[in-house]
Amino acid sequence: MIYLDNAATAFPKPAEPLRRALEEYLQAGASPGRGGYDLAVEAEYKVEAVRRKLCRFFGGGQGWRVCFSYNATDALNTLILGLTQEPCHVVSTRLEHNSVLRPLHHLAEQGRISLDLVPFNSQGYVEPDALAGALRPNTALALVNHASNVFGTVQPVAEMAALCRERGVELLLDVSQSAGLVPMKLEEWGVGGAAFTGHKSLLGPTGIGGLVLSPRVDPLPTRYGGTGVDSQSLAHTMDYPHRLEAGTINLLGVLCLGESLDYLATPGHQQALSREGELWARLRDGLAALEGLELYRAQGPGERLPLLSCNIKGMRAGDVADILDGDFEIAVRSGLHCAPLLHQDLGTSPHGAVRFSLGAFNTDEHIDAALQAMGRIAATAAAQGR
Amino acid sequence: MNPRAGQEGANAQLGRHVRLVAGKEMVFDSENFFWDHEDWSEEAARELAREAGLEELGEKHWRVMRFFREYFLYNGRAPLNNQLKKGTGLTLLELEGLFPGGIKHGARRLAGLPNPKTCN
Repeated sequence: MIYLDNAATAFPKPAEPLRRALEEYLQAGASPGRGGYDLAVEAEYKVEAVRRKLCRFFGGGQGWRVCFSYNATDALNTLILGLTQEPCHVVSTRLEHNSVLRPLHHLAEQGRISLDLVPFNSQGYVEPDALAGALRPNTALALVNHASNVFGTVQPVAEMAALCRERGVELLLDVSQSAGLVPMKLEEWGVGGAAFTGHKSLLGPTGIGGLVLSPRVDPLPTRYGGTGVDSQSLAHTMDYPHRLEAGTINLLGVLCLGESLDYLATPGHQQALSREGELWARLRDGLAALEGLELYRAQGPGERLPLLSCNIKGMRAGDVADILDGDFEIAVRSGLHCAPLLHQDLGTSPHGAVRFSLGAFNTDEHIDAALQAMGRIAATAAAQGR
Repeated sequence: MNPRAGQEGANAQLGRHVRLVAGKEMVFDSENFFWDHEDWSEEAARELAREAGLEELGEKHWRVMRFFREYFLYNGRAPLNNQLKKGTGLTLLELEGLFPGGIKHGARRLAGLPNPKTCN
């Protein structure tokens, strides 16, 4: 089987980091930060080591915090709900995933926020000036998808952050797609923080993600419970990281993430990443040459992730994906990619598009097989007069 | 009395609608999938096929619909893509071209299976 759905979740995962983490978990899988016995303290030390590693990986600075969550959606909910406890205005974009759109829509429906969603341009980028133009005196936050999960376009976040900060607004990022592919420089970019997930290009397992936050950004807790500290108080602690982590964290996920971060830095993986760009270009050029196939925002300047979205004229994206799977054993993602407004603006709603997203384990042969399959499907559709 | 008359409000709210197909009132969802797979009949499939522009259902169409139904009734779920290919003896590319609307909105819908509701 050829797996080209790495933007949904990276697969396969490198086995060694996961095995090492499981070994650590089997040896020290006590409750981190709960209890004074050595095993629990050791588990907590391991978690703290991963927090520090993550902070360095994301380019956080002095005083930056790392709080764990189950995934990016969970982290984004924590961030959005925690920063909008008072009525306020929020700016985001029409590129966003439902992990951002749905919490914001929910708050807007409840009358708790007013919301502006900035459009993307003909090349799949949000213009920094357009984002800045949407800010108001009562804007509490601006939240941007660092890299589109449909176009792969990487937004110019440093420029956006500078314009936001001129107006006293923190820019926050959803780095679900970009983390592990684009070097993360949160402090250097001047952003207030980011929400990430572990299971995509960080090559960790599902069920672990988090927030990396500047000391300037202070979400209020929106879930309350056990933290292992300040237990005499019935009020949830305001201290980080427990402030945003109610209940026992996913220790195995944290350990896996720590090991995966080490793996990401290995020369072999770095080489694989540089190959992804070449494979992407091979796929784009091959798809662009096919009759009856439309590629979306795949040309033009700017940084991009190794993913592409397209449609074959006269065919539903879901059927194309089923054919790729059933006839050619190629796994891709079709549909709206949880980005309904993007597809609405692209004119591909409600059936969406077919997305190819590459990973570290893809090869030239995989790309050629995908091109051959798409060529055959497109030719059949054309022969049927579609 | 029409047993479904009292459900009209709930149906409308859920995007469902009642239609007369092959002489029987049936509930369909917003994408015209059968709401209740037990409402399906060969005559209903023929009528819905004609409506979709398919005047005659040939041997391959029936082979696909029967496989879908038998698999669903036995397993309680739709077949996987490779099972569909193996079970019908057709490539999915061929199957897609047989039904107006393709695999999901054509074949699966005419076979009376529930709308998978995934966003693909």
